[in-house]
Amino acid sequence: MNATPLWASETFWKKTAIWVTAVSFLLLIVLTFDSMAKVSAGSTTRVPAYSVINKKIDYRFNASLNRYTPVVEGDAPLFGKILSDEEAEKLVTLGKKTFQAKNCINCHTVLGNGAYYAPDLTKSWLDPNWVDETNREILMLAFLQDPPGNARSYGTGRRMPDLGITEDEARGLIAFLKWTAAIDTNGFPHNFKTLYAQENP
Amino acid sequence: MSVGVLDSRNLNGGQKLAVKYFTVAMVLFVAQILFGLLAAVQFIAPGFLFETLDFSVNRMLHINAMVVWMLYGFIGAVYWFLEEESGVEVVGLKLGEIAFWVLTAAVGIVVLVYLFLQIGAGDDTTRWLINEGREYIEAPRWADIGIVAVMLVFFYNVAGTFSKGRWSGVSGVLTLDLVALVGLYLAGMFYTTNVTVDYYWWWWVVHLWVEATWEVLVGCIMAWSLMKLLGVRRKIVQTWLYIEVALMFGSGILGLGHHYFWIGTPEYWLSIGGFFSALEPIPLVAMVVHSIYDAGVHKFKSTNHPALGWVIAHTFGNFFGAGVWGFMHTLPQINLYTHGTQWTASHGHLSFFGAYATINIAFFYLAVQQWRGNVWMGANLADNGWKWKWSMGLLNLGVVGMTVALLIAGYEQSFIERAVEGSTWSGYFAAQTHPWFTEAMFWRLIMGIVTAAGLALLIWDLATIGAGETRPALVIERHEEPGVKAAVVQTA
Amino acid sequence: MIEPVQLEDFFLNVFSAAVIVVSGAGYAGFYAWGKIARRPGFVISAYASYASLAAAVWVLAETSHFEGFWRVAAGLMLIGYFAAPLAIFRLCTAMHAGEHSEHDRPIANQQQEEEQS
Repeated sequence: MNATPLWASETFWKKTAIWVTAVSFLLLIVLTFDSMAKVSAGSTTRVPAYSVINKKIDYRFNASLNRYTPVVEGDAPLFGKILSDEEAEKLVTLGKKTFQAKNCINCHTVLGNGAYYAPDLTKSWLDPNWVDETNREILMLAFLQDPPGNARSYGTGRRMPDLGITEDEARGLIAFLKWTAAIDTNGFPHNFKTLYAQENP
Repeated sequence: MSVGVLDSRNLNGGQKLAVKYFTVAMVLFVAQILFGLLAAVQFIAPGFLFETLDFSVNRMLHINAMVVWMLYGFIGAVYWFLEEESGVEVVGLKLGEIAFWVLTAAVGIVVLVYLFLQIGAGDDTTRWLINEGREYIEAPRWADIGIVAVMLVFFYNVAGTFSKGRWSGVSGVLTLDLVALVGLYLAGMFYTTNVTVDYYWWWWVVHLWVEATWEVLVGCIMAWSLMKLLGVRRKIVQTWLYIEVALMFGSGILGLGHHYFWIGTPEYWLSIGGFFSALEPIPLVAMVVHSIYDAGVHKFKSTNHPALGWVIAHTFGNFFGAGVWGFMHTLPQINLYTHGTQWTASHGHLSFFGAYATINIAFFYLAVQQWRGNVWMGANLADNGWKWKWSMGLLNLGVVGMTVALLIAGYEQSFIERAVEGSTWSGYFAAQTHPWFTEAMFWRLIMGIVTAAGLALLIWDLATIGAGETRPALVIERHEEPGVKAAVVQTA
Repeated sequence: MIEPVQLEDFFLNVFSAAVIVVSGAGYAGFYAWGKIARRPGFVISAYASYASLAAAVWVLAETSHFEGFWRVAAGLMLIGYFAAPLAIFRLCTAMHAGEHSEHDRPIANQQQEEEQS
C-alpha cells in the first residue's frame, strides 16, 4: 500500500496552516503597535498635531528620501486666529465628522481611497486651483456652502451637489483638509506641485 | 419528495433557511447592477439625477449591495451544507430564522435611509443613525451592532451544530474563520479624527475580510462543493484546504501592507507590502498545477453542469482579477501613479466577480437542483441549457468588458493626471476629459448593460431550470466516512 | 526608498507584470500537463514560458529601478515561480499516490485507513 509521506499528509498541513497564520498575525500585531505609535497626531512628523492648522504648510523635495516631504514653517493661522491645541482638535474633529456625515468619500478620495468621481482631497488645501493663499479660505468657505453655485467642473459638467453644509461645518472641513495636507504620505500623490511652488517655481 | 418542482420538502432545515438567504442575495445582486448602471450613466451625463440620487448615493448602494449579497450568499451556503456536514439538525434553526428576518429588515431600513435621507449634520447622530461615511462600511452604527448580533447567532448555529454532531477539517477551518470574520468587523466600529489611524483600521476590515477571511470562507464552501459536485475524496479536499489556508493567510495577512503605502504610515510598509505583493501571485499560479493534475488524472463526471461551469469561471476570474490585474499595479513604484484611479475600479470589478460572485452563482445552481428534488442537471438539459450558457456568457463578457474599459481609463489617468500633470485638480480634470477616458466610460456603460442582460437571463434560468424535469441527478461514487454517506443518502 | 517608474517605461512596467503572472501560469500548466501526458513537447513549452517569465522579471526590475532589498525580492520571485509548481506537482502525486488502487480495495480497508489518519 502506498503510504502518504508526512509532508503531504493532512496533519502536516493542518499544523503548517496554524503556524503560518499565527506567526503572520503576531507579526502584524507587533507592526501595528509600532505604526500606531508613529502615526498618532503629533507623535512624529508623519502625522502632525492638529495645531498644525496654525502654521504654513508646504512641500519641498527631500533628496535623501527621493520625494517631496511636508515642511511646516511660520505662522499662518486659519481664518486669522491662532487656536490652542484643544480648539484645533475640536475644529478638525468637527471637520472629520462632517466629512463622514456628508458621505464625501463616495465621490472624492482622500489618501487615494474612495470613489473616483471627484478629485483627491489629500492635498486640496495646497492645490493651485485656489490661485493664491490670500483668497483661499474665502473661496473654500463659499464653495462648500454653495457648491453648485461655485462649481469647478473644468469642462466635465460634474458639479458637487448642495449638501447643506453650514458655515461652522465648512470651517471644520477646511481645518480637517489643512491638517490632512500636512500628513507625510511617502510622496503620494506623485509630483504634486503646491500652490506656493506654482507661485515661485 | 417531489421532482421537477420547487418544493421545500426536498430540503433539510438548514437548506430551507439557506434558500431564503439566496433569494435576498439575488434581489441585492439586482440592486447592485441597477445602482451601478445609474452611477455609470452619471459619468457620461453628470446632470442625470443631480441632487436627487447623486453619484455618491448610487456608488455607495452599488458597492454595499454587492458586499451584502456576497455575505448572504456565503451564509446561505454554510447553512446549506451545515446539516449534511455535521450529521445533525441545525441547533438553533428558529433563532437563525429570526436572525435572517432581523438582518433583512435592517438591510431594508438602511437602504431606505440611504435613498431618502442620504446624509446628515456633521455630528455623532448622523454616524449612529444615517450614514457612517466610511467607504464600504457606510452602514450606520446601530446597523453595525445588529450585523454583529446576527453574525453571532450564525456563529452559534455553526459552532453549536458541529459540536453536537461531528467536526471535520472543513468545519474546523470554517468555524475559526468565522471568529476572525466577526472579530475583524469590530475593528471598523469606532470613530477617530486621525484619518491615518482611521484608514489603518479600516483596511483591517476591508483587506482582511476580502483578501483573507472571505477567501478562506469560500475555500470551505468550495471544498464542500467539490466533494458534492465531483465526488472528490474528503481527505484530499481537506489537505488542500489546509494548504490554501497556509498560503492565503501567509501571503494575505501581511499583504495588508500594500494598502499602507500612502496613508501616512511608516516607510517600512513600502518594503513589507511590496515584498508580499511580489510573492502573492505565486501560490495562485502554482495551483494551476493542481487544477491540471486533477482534471487530467481524474475523468470527472459532474452532477450539475451550470454549477461546474461557474466554478470554472471562478478559476479564470480569480486568476486574472486577483492575480494578473492585482499584480500589474501593486508594487509601490507603479502604485504611486495608479492608486486612487479607475485602475483600482478595474481590478475590483474583475476580482470580486471572479473570486466571489461566480462561486455564489455556482452555489445557487446547486441549491435549485436540490430544491427541485435533486433533478438532472448534467448534459442534455431541456432547451439545450441555452439560458444558463447565455447568461454565463453575457455576465462574463459584461464584467470583462467593464474591466478592460476601466483599465484603459485608469491607465490614461495614471499617465495624464499623475505623471504628466502632477496630481493637481486641473490634472485630475484634464484626465477626466481625455478621449480615452470618456470613451472608456461609454464602453463601461455598454458592458454594464450587457452584464444586466446576463443577470436577467440568470434569474430567469434559476427560476425555471429543472422545472418539469423527471430524470434524477447523476449519482456520483463517493469515498467518505459512513456517517456522511448516510447523511447524503438520506437527503438525496 | 523607492524610485518610481519613469513615464516612458509605464507600459513596459505594467505589461511585464502581467506577463510574469501569465507566463508563470503557462509554465506551471505546461509542466503539469507534460508530466501527466508524458509529452516532452509540453516540458519544452514550459521552459519557454519560464524563460519569458524571467525576461519579464528583468524588465520589471529595470523599469521599477529595483535596488538592494528589491533585487532580493525579484530573485525570490524567480526562485518561487520556478520551484512552487514543481513542489505542488510533487505534492499532488504524493497525496494521490494511493488513490488508483483504492477503487479495487474493499470498503473496510478504506475505513481503517480513514480511522488511522
